[in-house]
Amino acid sequence: MLIGIDVGGTFTDGVLFDDGRILAAVKKPTQTDNLQESLLAVLDELLAAAHGTDINRVVLSTTLVTNLLATGQGEPTALFMVPGYGLPHRAYDLTANIYFLQGAVDFRGRIIEKIDTNQLFVALQDVQHKGIKRIAVACKFSNRNQSLEQQIRDEIMKIDPEMQVTISAEVSGKLNFPRRAATTYFTAMTMPEWKRFANRIEQALEARNLDAEIHILKADGGTMPLAASLSNPCETIFSGPAASTMGATALSRDRLNSVVVDIGGTTTDISLLISGEPLYASKGARIDKHFTHINAFAVRSIALGGDSVIRCRDNSIRVGPMRIGAAACFGGDEPTVTDVFNVYHELKVGDWNRSRELLTTLAESSQMSLQSLCFFVVETVMERLKRSISDMFTEWENEPAYKVWEVVHRRKFQLDRIIGIGAAAHAIVPILAAEIGVPGFVHHYAPVANALGAAVVRPTLALQLHVDTASNLYTVDSGGLTGTLPDPRKFQLTDAKVLAISCLEEVSRARGIDKYTVNASFFMEEQFNMIRGWDRVGKIFEVGIQVAPGFIEEYQGVSE
Amino acid sequence: MKPTGILFFPAFDWAISPTHPEREERLLYTRDQIFEEGIMDMPQIREYQPGLATFKDIARVHFCVPDIESQITEAHLVSAGSALRMADAVVTGEVKNGFAIIRPPGHHSMTVVHGNRGFCNINNEAIMVEYLRHKYGLKRIAIVDTDVHHGDGTQEIFWDDPDVLFISFHQDGRTLYPGSGFMDENGGPMAYGTTINIPLSPRTTDEGILFILDNLVMPLLEEFKPDLVVNSAGQDNHYSDPLANMCFTAQGYARLNQRLKPDIAVLEGGYSVESALPYINMGLIMAMAGIDFSNLKEPDYSPNKFKEPAGNREALQRIVDTQLRVFREREEVIARTRAKSDRPFRMELRNIFYDTDYIHEQQRVEVRLCPTCAGFRTIVSSARHPSGREYTVGCVSIPFRACTHCREEGQAAYQTLQRSNNQLVYLQNKIDDDYRVTDTRTQQEIKL
Ligand SMILES: [Zn+2]
Ligand SMILES: [Zn+2]
Ligand SMILES: [Zn+2]
Repeated sequence: MLIGIDVGGTFTDGVLFDDGRILAAVKKPTQTDNLQESLLAVLDELLAAAHGTDINRVVLSTTLVTNLLATGQGEPTALFMVPGYGLPHRAYDLTANIYFLQGAVDFRGRIIEKIDTNQLFVALQDVQHKGIKRIAVACKFSNRNQSLEQQIRDEIMKIDPEMQVTISAEVSGKLNFPRRAATTYFTAMTMPEWKRFANRIEQALEARNLDAEIHILKADGGTMPLAASLSNPCETIFSGPAASTMGATALSRDRLNSVVVDIGGTTTDISLLISGEPLYASKGARIDKHFTHINAFAVRSIALGGDSVIRCRDNSIRVGPMRIGAAACFGGDEPTVTDVFNVYHELKVGDWNRSRELLTTLAESSQMSLQSLCFFVVETVMERLKRSISDMFTEWENEPAYKVWEVVHRRKFQLDRIIGIGAAAHAIVPILAAEIGVPGFVHHYAPVANALGAAVVRPTLALQLHVDTASNLYTVDSGGLTGTLPDPRKFQLTDAKVLAISCLEEVSRARGIDKYTVNASFFMEEQFNMIRGWDRVGKIFEVGIQVAPGFIEEYQGVSE
Repeated sequence: MKPTGILFFPAFDWAISPTHPEREERLLYTRDQIFEEGIMDMPQIREYQPGLATFKDIARVHFCVPDIESQITEAHLVSAGSALRMADAVVTGEVKNGFAIIRPPGHHSMTVVHGNRGFCNINNEAIMVEYLRHKYGLKRIAIVDTDVHHGDGTQEIFWDDPDVLFISFHQDGRTLYPGSGFMDENGGPMAYGTTINIPLSPRTTDEGILFILDNLVMPLLEEFKPDLVVNSAGQDNHYSDPLANMCFTAQGYARLNQRLKPDIAVLEGGYSVESALPYINMGLIMAMAGIDFSNLKEPDYSPNKFKEPAGNREALQRIVDTQLRVFREREEVIARTRAKSDRPFRMELRNIFYDTDYIHEQQRVEVRLCPTCAGFRTIVSSARHPSGREYTVGCVSIPFRACTHCREEGQAAYQTLQRSNNQLVYLQNKIDDDYRVTDTRTQQEIKL
């Protein structure tokens, strides 16, 4: 049996899944000040429903790190930057505790300026003086040569062995120094709190005698074992929307172009499936206005959900953005978006007479007919959803391309279908789909698709290998692997691919997910001849290999 | 403040040949540098997606022999198309200015295209300029060619066009390909003075080029009052370039663009792929976006690395004086030419050499000396292609601002040519955006 739990902002959802069926679904309000409690309460109900049957795997999706970063509650962290030459230093504004250090590496991984240890010691003293106990270190082009970052860490540790130092080459190896620095900084900042959380979860599960694999859901729609998450806490951010999108994929299981509309209580999240595969945010997850190297789905969030309250202020009808409580038809005190759809489209869900009553009162107080009030709200909701959807299409179509082939074969987004998930999808999505003129798909598991998605997705891992045969160096993102080649002059693309596979296996072993490397596929194969004068002096290879988001083998779809 | 548009199209899957300077690797380290800097994430920058030019966009400038398909690859359509996308964004006001970092380059391509010249098949800037005049009705455009090589293709295309001011500075043609761009190349009889060449002696430094910019280029632009300034932005003036001998630095390029303030910059040459391009491209982006570039430098650069050659300042001052005079006298000179011409056409014979494809082209060019407009042009061109086939073609070009008379006479000239023994006959009617080719043997006409 499988368990998936998604701790969301308003509700915590959990499912117990086996053999194509959801055996139990639990929904509880999230206690924002005690996520662990919310999570365990749901887990215990699911375990009770399992009646002692073995649980193979538990996957958790939590907003812990997202909340820490949003509320600035991470541990005080200093950032040591080695920006070398290029943008002015004032372009970097992650924190007030930035220290710029001398040193420079170029794109080929050559060291063009050394670290000044005296300058480093002065910075370190200042950090100690401020009582800061963590340092993130980021050097431009450390993804091509991490030795300056390592040297900085070594020097710091010599003086202050208690200092926690995180270097960027071990966090991300992708190009983009500011994003790498941000990712490293946020990682260093949230690591201790996440560690404490992970330990408590582990203990809680031990106390329950649960002998299952524990995975954490990541922003890219894949999982990682709890142990592997300790050094990568930031990968857990935005896992909620990832759970929903993967849940939609799990329920649809085809290669169509779809919009996934996840209508929750307070917000609606919109994501795209291109030929059945979720679309990623091209600039990575965004934390507090900073782009990062965290791979996350492209999700548009709008402050409009099934529980968004309908009120009248200054003689005009306001739709949301607040949530006061449940919809009137489900026992709430004020009419909401769900109530409007309930009445206007005669859905007759819940206590639909109550929907009518409260809306009629509101209509009277604002001197409108019930009909025109409902019409206005429905139109407002449709307009906002349609606008967000079309913005997403445009964004996807305007992604840059760097090869002739990509430009010539560019496709326009042809929408095949709208998939609705989330509690209020049944009421709203069929109408939205009809208005846009495509089929709508709302599975009866739609209200718990997020937890289902968490329960059945497999681990993911994307790895990019950069080989420079002229300098005889290779580097790997992520994992910080680096090394030299046995025979650089004979090295070919096929060798690069073999090397990429072995790196993937090594990183997978370290993360405890090596049994999934059979699902790996190449997503990038580039090679460049390096010509100096008229002679070839070497080659540069860029090879990308990944275990893409997908589902564990046990999952073969849901039985109807 | 509006952002600066950047369109980066490195064509990682296109090369002239595996070891040619125009190969996949050319913008690889530029990619590394600008992506690692993360400059595209900054609010001052908006990244644009490449586009595709249409055959009509190309026909607005070129006569491709025997046809467009055989002269270009998809890469050329994307490169030119990307310049057009950048131009759209600038002219419609989405961005304050734009830089198209694109390849393959174009500034050595001339009106008639028999093959590849100086790594170029079609002229990206010229296609962009004609597109802008057609689509948005811009009147006057200035192109400043900052590539180390003389922009002979762009010069030839706008030779007879008084509405396009073409300024090229470059290493002296006696010492570098293509061996042209001398002081006395000032434009055709009806467009005298709107072609300005600035041949520089080898080893000229930032100081010399900025002197020319401040004392000649900027005053010319101020007096010409263009609707749009284009920087035909080659990067081979750099001290490390393997194909030329100048001493320009990344800081120099950045300062040049900071002062020139081009509306659109389009990448041309530049083949020091590791030591120069990553830093110059960064400098250009920063300068155009108004980002402080004082922390930018090449790894091997130091402030006193280069000294301006002795006596260069005096030589440059002479260039400034001469070319300012040429430009300021242009209307007078054209009026004199008109007054004393006793024939309706001015005829010229030309030989054009295509270095990459080793083609020798012969041209006979006639321009109508019209009393009211710049006149239409007829070109008869013949060349033996690498395939061994010999082509003779006749081409008529009617400019945007041709008078009714020139428009009618141009069309009549095309009809006359249709009965000639040239294999192919072309009409380029920019007023009506009408482009045609006739195969004289079959008398079949294709309209683009
Ligand atoms: Zn030039
Ligand atoms: Zn050049
Ligand atoms: Zn005329």
